[in-house]
Amino acid sequence: MTQVRTFIFLRTSFMDFYWQQLPQQLVNGLTLGGVYALIAIGYTMVYGILFMLNFAHGEIYMIGGFVAWWVLYLLTGNNVPFVNAGVLIAFMILMAMGLPGVLGILIERFAYRPLRKAPRMNLLLSALGVSIFLQNLVLNFQGAKARSFAVASLIPEGLRVIQVGDVVISFMRILVIVVAFLLMALLTVMVKKTKVGKAMRATAQDIEAAAFMGIDTDRIIVLVFFIGSALGGAAGALVGLMFTQVDYYVGFQAGLKGFTAAVLGGIGNIRGAMLGGLILGLLESLATTFFPATYKDVVAFMVLILVLIFRPWGLMGEKIPEKV
Amino acid sequence: MQRDASEMSWVEKNRLILYAAAGTVLLFAPLVMPNNYWLRIYGTTGLWIMLALGLNVVAGFAGLLDMAYVAFFGIGAYVFALLSSGHFNIHLPFLLTLPLSALAAMGIGFALGSTSMRLKGDYLAIVTLAFAQIFRLLLLNLDRPINITGGVNGIYNLDPIRLFGFTIVSPVAYSYLIWIAAILVVIGCSRLKKSRYGRGWEAIREDELAAEAMGVNTTWMKLKAFAVGALIAGWTGAIFASFQDSVFPNNFDFPQLVIVYCMVILGGLGNVPGVILGAVFLSILPEFLREYGAYRMMTYGLILIVLMALRPQGIMGSFGFLSKAKKRPDKDETGVLRASTDLYYQEKEGDRTSGRKAFSKGDRVVLDIRGVTMNFGGIMAVNTLGFQVREREILSIIGPNGAGKTTLFNLISGIYPPSAGSIVYEGRRISGLKPHQVVKAGVARTFQNLRLFSSLSVLDNAKVGRFCRTKAGPLSIVFHLPLHNREEQETDRAVKEVLSLFGARLTGYRLGQQAMFLSYANRRRLEIARALSTNAKLLMLDEPSAGMNPQETEEMTRFIKHLRDQYGYTIIVIEHKLNVVRNISDKVLALDYGRKIAEGTYDEVANDKEVIEAYLGRKR
Amino acid sequence: MRRSLVFFVLLVGMLLAFSALAFSADVSKGIKVGNAGAFTGDAAAPCMEIYNSAQIAVDEWNEKGGIKGVKIEQVMGDDALDPAQGVNVANKFVADSLIYGVVGPPMSHIAQATMKIYGAANLTCITTAASKPDLTDQGFKQFFRVNARNDAHGWNCALFIQRELKAKKVAVLNEKVAYCENIASETINGLKKLGVTDIMQDTIVAGAKDYSAVLTKVKAYGPDVLFFVATTAPDQAIGVRQAKELGIKAVFFGTEGARDKKDFIQASEGAAEGAYVYHFAPDVFAVPEAAGYVKKYEAKYGTISGFGPPAYEAMNILLTAISKAAADGNISREEVLKNVAETKGYKGILGFPVTFDKKGDLEGGATYFFKVAGKDFKQVAVMTGK
Repeated sequence: MTQVRTFIFLRTSFMDFYWQQLPQQLVNGLTLGGVYALIAIGYTMVYGILFMLNFAHGEIYMIGGFVAWWVLYLLTGNNVPFVNAGVLIAFMILMAMGLPGVLGILIERFAYRPLRKAPRMNLLLSALGVSIFLQNLVLNFQGAKARSFAVASLIPEGLRVIQVGDVVISFMRILVIVVAFLLMALLTVMVKKTKVGKAMRATAQDIEAAAFMGIDTDRIIVLVFFIGSALGGAAGALVGLMFTQVDYYVGFQAGLKGFTAAVLGGIGNIRGAMLGGLILGLLESLATTFFPATYKDVVAFMVLILVLIFRPWGLMGEKIPEKV
Repeated sequence: MQRDASEMSWVEKNRLILYAAAGTVLLFAPLVMPNNYWLRIYGTTGLWIMLALGLNVVAGFAGLLDMAYVAFFGIGAYVFALLSSGHFNIHLPFLLTLPLSALAAMGIGFALGSTSMRLKGDYLAIVTLAFAQIFRLLLLNLDRPINITGGVNGIYNLDPIRLFGFTIVSPVAYSYLIWIAAILVVIGCSRLKKSRYGRGWEAIREDELAAEAMGVNTTWMKLKAFAVGALIAGWTGAIFASFQDSVFPNNFDFPQLVIVYCMVILGGLGNVPGVILGAVFLSILPEFLREYGAYRMMTYGLILIVLMALRPQGIMGSFGFLSKAKKRPDKDETGVLRASTDLYYQEKEGDRTSGRKAFSKGDRVVLDIRGVTMNFGGIMAVNTLGFQVREREILSIIGPNGAGKTTLFNLISGIYPPSAGSIVYEGRRISGLKPHQVVKAGVARTFQNLRLFSSLSVLDNAKVGRFCRTKAGPLSIVFHLPLHNREEQETDRAVKEVLSLFGARLTGYRLGQQAMFLSYANRRRLEIARALSTNAKLLMLDEPSAGMNPQETEEMTRFIKHLRDQYGYTIIVIEHKLNVVRNISDKVLALDYGRKIAEGTYDEVANDKEVIEAYLGRKR
Repeated sequence: MRRSLVFFVLLVGMLLAFSALAFSADVSKGIKVGNAGAFTGDAAAPCMEIYNSAQIAVDEWNEKGGIKGVKIEQVMGDDALDPAQGVNVANKFVADSLIYGVVGPPMSHIAQATMKIYGAANLTCITTAASKPDLTDQGFKQFFRVNARNDAHGWNCALFIQRELKAKKVAVLNEKVAYCENIASETINGLKKLGVTDIMQDTIVAGAKDYSAVLTKVKAYGPDVLFFVATTAPDQAIGVRQAKELGIKAVFFGTEGARDKKDFIQASEGAAEGAYVYHFAPDVFAVPEAAGYVKKYEAKYGTISGFGPPAYEAMNILLTAISKAAADGNISREEVLKNVAETKGYKGILGFPVTFDKKGDLEGGATYFFKVAGKDFKQVAVMTGK
């Protein structure tokens, strides 16, 4: 193995090998980054308002993927004529937002709400429990095998893969990035400009004061969980379409990477989540280019550890001193 | 260490008999097992007990959500495998590989800990989780270009253990080895719990800031918790590797982490017997429910959710419905209901304060606040403040809310450094020191909003204060060396003396009562007792009579004077009740918007125009 | 005080309850066969296929009256991919005197960890997927395989790549699991021996879903053949699809797991056209003897991938051996072991006769190669190591 590698090393076109890949790897990185950004947005939103790391977010993402698969299967598998692919995809995503959103509400109600006043650790452990429970629930009822999306039926042949010079990018990936930006924009508008958004920000700043101001904080929290989970579910559906598959285990890794992206960008900061996701995707792509591929996860986790140690507030976050 | 017979539980009184019984059971158990299958379960249970107890130290005692714990287990196992097999052809004896494996794990635990000690709970969990993932990936991938870990194929055919002439190969032999090791771990953990280390850790878990402010070096102690946990995990790992005669990356993955956590939580975080029970339960139960193996992980998830929501203290937590009817804690041993005012009137009659003062205010300056400013990102909480406190002086600080009084206390006790200026105590600059160092220098404080260690007993709460005056280390504690024994005795004596200053309120049956069950006034008193235990010379009391009724307030007033008159403390008090201020103060300092607006005797300050304006507003 | 008392009561009570259950083992006479595998976790799907296929065999025997009128029972032993649990399962099977043979363990590292335990008890193990070569080189007599070893497979794959696919430049991507790792290294060794030295090797992560980054590397390398060594069909479906999307011209070559019409060919939606896979047995759908099994399995459990048929075969071989040993009214594990070892020319559903060699391996292990043509696989070559 070493001999083979050295052999390549010594070739005169050594630089060619890496140079050649670069454009495609950048594209790969950005599109992968779009995925991470999408997951990170949901994470960061819940954290920004509730200061809580919803460990179960990854599993909600996974369930969103399964919901989308079932919708697709039920609607196309039975040869039900459907209007057009765009509508179908939109419907899939909507369902993937709605059902996981409701699930998020249930989780908040039964697993997190009893722990509002409890020490932090209890909440984290409960979230961990939810994550494990959901993952294995799906494993038991859907099996371990990955489910494939019949994507071909949705996207016309010509559009599926777009070629720009030597670089190839698939339609779904572009869609993912576009949707990620769209959701980010929508969310930012909602939080900054609407009344509900204001209520959310108030609750984030000081939950007791917000309650005194007549804000139904319980309802706001429920809303936050709904939106955060809906975003996670949407991410799951889009990624399922993009990679054409979903299985019970995707949530674990996705959650970890999504969290890394959120922290990298500045947890609680929506634009930061976007930025963090893109950077993480690029880092992974580049790591794969220059090192054996399995080390890309090591790179991702090292990034996480280093960011948390040296700059825990992330790239776009602000250092908040703790008031005693 | 002698304790009253009334304080010892039934278990402790019959200690020796129980140990003998347990010893007999453990001696004969391996011989009674019907077959190898049960012997292996017996052995595995012992291993799980050790693993769970190690996690109990990190997560249970110290409250650190360490998700890399199983990685340390793996490090111990792999180090053992590398040093005792044909893999690198190193064949070290067991008495060497066991400590080496444990120490390797501990070393890496230290390294990981030192990078993450500043992180809050959530972030610590994620960083350690990331580390665990990296560890697993390294195990899988470090087989090219040089085969270090064996990759997916693991390392197998390890050397058999040869110990004192015995070769340990049969399951029976392993059972003895494992359970002897387990007993050592149990003893070690129990002893650690009842020591200054255990109290320091539990204080950190309950309220890290308060622990730091009571003299516990929290950063260092958290690191030590991490390291001790890793040490126990590594120790168990080495024995496990030999037991399985192989190591694979799959042995040290996320599911195993979940199981250990469930064991610890089921048993109750920090509860040593509970965790043992939890480990036994979750080790044996899955074997019976093998047909339902598919639901195993789901059940673990449910256990975590349900326990955290409904019974976070685990199965062994306080059995409210089973304990003696102590529902009215105000009843003392004789069953008489006592209200705090009862004791007040009783003590007033037999007034212990003889009236003759032993100490009075001196002239030497002990605390010098020099031009201190505190800027919170634009908000100037304290503005160029300067004043001096003389020895054995009682200084009261008054001012409207938000004037910067508590901030001042925080600055003096070192919770954050001043943006400008300096603070000098007994000729030594203390601004910029960490809070526990300030305590060690002799300055202790209480908190406005009460920061007791809720689930610790009254006695333990106070004992935490003695942390900075003692220095027994883990070795001393685990082996009950003279240093530890002596310090424990001294701590016990000193703390009880301090508590008895409050009369019958915090002594007797109250000593074992958890702080969360105390009445409000008693909690305030306990906070002061805790501060007194630190052997401080300068006391800072932040609204000591807040929320107390008039009788309690009067008692507190007398008490504060008593502290100075009989014991010679220098005291700074933040107070809102001006009658208290008038009764106790040698000097009064008035603050508003972070600035000193008046300084002098009570009468001078009370009549100061600016002070009146600050409280009542300007006359129009 | 109460707390400590409760603790001891609970502890003793628990131990008594458990020990009571332990001692009250089922003593009714019966015949049991164990099935050791990872039924929970990542490998659950293939292992369940193994279990279900074996169960079909058991059911068929029971319909015919069992062995000497006694119904056979298959016992599931889940190790969840954890060697520590695998050891527990092994001990449990060994301790149960009514278990006369075991189908499994399919994972090489579990097989390794439990080898000594089964060996000491002479409890026959017939694995259907454990392929690490040295498992049968360690001198243990109770371990048999109905699948091929990685070295045999690897060599055959190398032959195929060099001879049939005429490749001069090969890229090998493998998962970091025992099976894939070993196949990949054996194939690479074989290729080097055959004079093909321009080889690139890299890793893929099972279930990662996105292989574009590493595939881009492959594209830049420009090989003739891409050997995609993954365990499951869905992953390989993604691999072949993304390779096509990126415009990689190399011939896609997958593993046994990919010989799955639904999860490889169908799932790739056309991208798999022209791809190759190998398998240690001919296409089960083309073997007439297998029709009955195929029908039963598909009716009850769905599609068959490569893992099912060998399990059916292994269980049948085991039950045949047990039946033979029971002829005189007494079964012993040693007898069963002897009978299994003496299996010669057993004609089952795999499409070739099964004989175990001295080490317990399949004699004359051949590797079959298939090409994806339309919706189905077409056998294109058989390599026997020469």
